Parts: sequence; structure tokens; C-alpha cells
Amino acid sequence: MLREAFPCLHQQVNGKDLVYFDNAATAMRPQVVIDAVNDYYCHNNANIHRGVHCLSGRATDLYEQARGSLARLINAPSPDNLIFVRGCTEGVNLVAQTFVRERLQPGDEILISHLEHHSNIVPWQILCQQTGARLKVIPMNERGELVLDQLDELMTERTKFMSVIHVSNALGTINPVKELVAKAHAKDIPVMVDGAQATPHLKVDVQDIGCDFYTVSGHKMYGPTGSGVLYGKATHLESMPPYHGGGEMISKVTFEETVYNKVPAKFEAGTPNIAGGIGLGAAAEFILDVGIEAIAEREDVLKLYTEQALKTVKGLRILGEAAHKSPVFSFLIDGIHPHDIGTIIDHHGVAIRTGHHCTMPIFQFFDVPGSCRASLAFYNTEQEVDILVESLNQAKAMFS
Amino acid sequence: MTDLNKLYKQQVLAHNKTPHNYGEPDHWTHHAEGLNAICGDQVHVYLNIEDDVIKAAHFAGDSCAISMASASMMTELIAEKTTFEALHLFAAFKQMMSAEGLDQAETVLGDVACLVSVKKFPSRIKSALLCWYALNAAIHGQATTTTE
Repeated sequence: MLREAFPCLHQQVNGKDLVYFDNAATAMRPQVVIDAVNDYYCHNNANIHRGVHCLSGRATDLYEQARGSLARLINAPSPDNLIFVRGCTEGVNLVAQTFVRERLQPGDEILISHLEHHSNIVPWQILCQQTGARLKVIPMNERGELVLDQLDELMTERTKFMSVIHVSNALGTINPVKELVAKAHAKDIPVMVDGAQATPHLKVDVQDIGCDFYTVSGHKMYGPTGSGVLYGKATHLESMPPYHGGGEMISKVTFEETVYNKVPAKFEAGTPNIAGGIGLGAAAEFILDVGIEAIAEREDVLKLYTEQALKTVKGLRILGEAAHKSPVFSFLIDGIHPHDIGTIIDHHGVAIRTGHHCTMPIFQFFDVPGSCRASLAFYNTEQEVDILVESLNQAKAMFS
Repeated sequence: MTDLNKLYKQQVLAHNKTPHNYGEPDHWTHHAEGLNAICGDQVHVYLNIEDDVIKAAHFAGDSCAISMASASMMTELIAEKTTFEALHLFAAFKQMMSAEGLDQAETVLGDVACLVSVKKFPSRIKSALLCWYALNAAIHGQATTTTE
């Protein structure tokens, strides 16, 4: 069973078998990812793209193979469309500062949605402060779905860029990104999609979506922390200035001038997270091997089971019941603060996240300070869901 | 009794369910907000200080049971104390919750000393401390504070 491939799942916490339902915060890593990182350090440790020696050649090959694996995973036209970054946060900041900034005049607009993670809000607020542009927000409804009726009014001639989350980390909502991109492109608005929560759960095809940029987070998709890629259309990447200056991103440096390296090296200054990139490549191969369709199918079954099970808990309210969602459940229980629920069920071995999940505007919409969030992955089981429900009932009994 | 039952002892659950001195009073002279944004605890502390004596202490906000119980018990303990005495109690509570601990905590802090059980849950200590930091801030004229 695939669950066996994830060593960290098999342990006890507080004397109970671990039930790991915090996958939206970070997923577990399969042994193949751990081995890929380990093998690099044990057998192929060298810097990349600069040594003539054997180990440097091997390390470079592994790193570039990883780029190729990621390109296959999201169906990018070429590995050269992908820039290795630390994660989606860095991807958003890179695009904000090197692609969008020079397009903005005071009074121009950037469009995001109410479902964004702080990492797809704050970089745009910083950019607005730098340029005098304004941030506009696509609203959401009580079910946690984006309301698209007003899209025509929200996309004005001043709208210079749109950035939207593919799958909500807080509510699980899967946004209709292909439709959003088509509408934006009809008005010549370039679009970035934040795919942090998408690649672990859904088939992502950047050419089918048609977006200009797409961000991938390594640690959400069973890869190492501090790894990720930014996909960009080739014409954009060619025209954008570098983000960081330094080694590796140059082809020639004199004190008078610097000639930049070609894409993607132009955006990869300094020695990167080599082990992380190689590990992320292994995670992409793992998903390709298992099959994202099989993963999605299993998660759909788990999602329905979890939804039914949670609804048996009296006084439990699920926030966000979008028609299309990933196996993420934000919920509240009458009379018990999420923080207390988190502590009590941790005692039963159940790991969930409590708080605002880096999406404060979503909880301002629901007028609550935060929620409990159980986020599942394909390696979770129905039996674990039963343990969650039992532990929630025990928390209720304690507070009754 | 398990650690969990010690954490959520009857005393704590009772204060959480029926907090004492809860709600913003009509009259107050000093106020501060304690906010732990990451976990979602929020405590407003309202003091009515006359001639350096805390004539009444109230609190309001939306918090976990540990934070609610701590604030409820704190407002009872500091009533009719001078600000100097209240700050002394703040220091005593902080010491009780630190690795060092506080000898004869019950003598100094009364019922509040029962919160020593929170120390077994390091991630929750900040919840118990939040109202006390808000008290300290209110006395010193600071508008906001946090224990995160």
C-alpha cells in the first residue's frame, strides 16, 4: 500500500497512532524523495553548472532532470519554462517585481480574489505602495465559491494583472481558473495562478489553463521544504529583467556591464537549493508514477466519507462547501474554541491546524477568528477519519 | 488524572463557560488589547483605576478556554489591588509559567495558581499569559500587546 511509502506517518504521538490531517500545511514525504535528497548528499554532492569534474556533472544532470520532471507534471512546453524558487511565495514576489511592476502606472489595478493566501495578497499590496496601483478583489459567497457575476466590471481597462489561487488552502475550493484566464485574456490581462494546493490533488496542465504564470510549492506535493518552481510563458521570461543579481545568472561580468545568462538561469542567482530541487523532481516522478487521476479518485472517496462523518458531530459547522473542492475541511464546533479542539485531539494523536491558515480575509468574511482545519491526502484512511470524529466527540464531552 | 484533564480541569471549564467580569464596562480608565493573531486569541482588558488602586477589572474578547479562564481568574485576583501589586502578580504569574517556576504559587496567586498545569502544553502557555500581558500594557498605557 502506498501509505507504507511515507515513513513519518508510522509513529505514535501522545501514546496514540498518529493521524496526520495537516497536509495542507505541509504534506509527508515518500521514501523516494528522502532517498533522492540523501543520495545527492551522500554520493553526488557538488555545485551545479560550474564544475568540470564528475560530481558536478552528475549533480547538474540530476538538477536538470528534476526540472524536466516538473515540466512533465504540469505539462509545460519545455523545462526552460520553469524557474526553481523557494516556493510559491517567492514565485509571486518574483512576478510582481519583474513582470508586473514595470507595467503599472498610478491608478492601475491588480485583481486578486477573496480566497487568496496571504502570500498572494501581501506582495501585491507592497507593489501597490511602490507604484500607486490599486488592489481589487473578486468576491466570494457563503459556500466559499468565487462570485463571477461582476467579473466584467472588475476587469477594467486599468486592470493590468490578475493573480488567483487554484485551490484554497483554507476551504478547499477549486477555482475555475481556465475560465478566469479566458475572461482575463479577452481583455488582454495577463494571469498568474497560485498552484500551491493544486499539484498534490489535481491534474494541472498549464497549457490547457492558458495562464501566463503558475507557481508550484514543493513541500505541499510531497517534496522538500524550501523548493518549488515558477512556470512562465517563454516570451514573458525572455522579456523580464532578473529578480536577484549574483552568480549563475550571468554570462559575462565586467565592472562596466553584465550580460545576463539565458532563461531560466537568468532568474536563478547564487547556488540554489540543489538537494531540494532534486527531491522535488523525485516527488514529481512519484506523482507521475502513482498517477494524479488515481490520487484524485482516492481523495474524492475520502472527501465524501469525511464530509458525512463530520456532519454526524452535533454542533459542528463546515466552512466552505463549494461544489468543487479538495479534501480540506475548515470547521467550527459550538462552544469550543478551535485552539482547544486542536490541543484535545492532538492528545488522541490527531494532527490538524487551527487558526486563520494565512487567510485572514476569509475568516473576516465568516466573522470568526479562525477555524479547525482537517486537510487530507490520499494516504489517509477512513479509519483515521473515524478517530478524528471520535476525538471531536470527546472534546465536546469534555466541554459539555 | 491525565495531563489533558489537568489542563481542562473543572475550574478552567467553569470559568470558560461562565466567565467572571466579562464584557466592556460602562466606565474604565485603562484599556489594552492582547492579540495572538496566529492562534486567534484576543483579550481586551479594561481597568478602572482610582488613586492607583484597581477598583474594577473586566475583560472581553474571543479566545480559547485557557485564555478565557486565565482572564476571568485574573480580573478577580487584581480587583482592589494597587497597580504596583498587580504588576507584582504579573511577574509572579510569568515566573510560575516559566521553566524556573514559582514556589508557593498558591499563596501568592490563589486560584490562579491552578493554571500551572498549562506548562505541560508548551504551545498553550502563550494563551494563559495573554491577559496578563494585556494587564501590564493597560497599566503602562500601551494599546496592544501579544505573547506570540
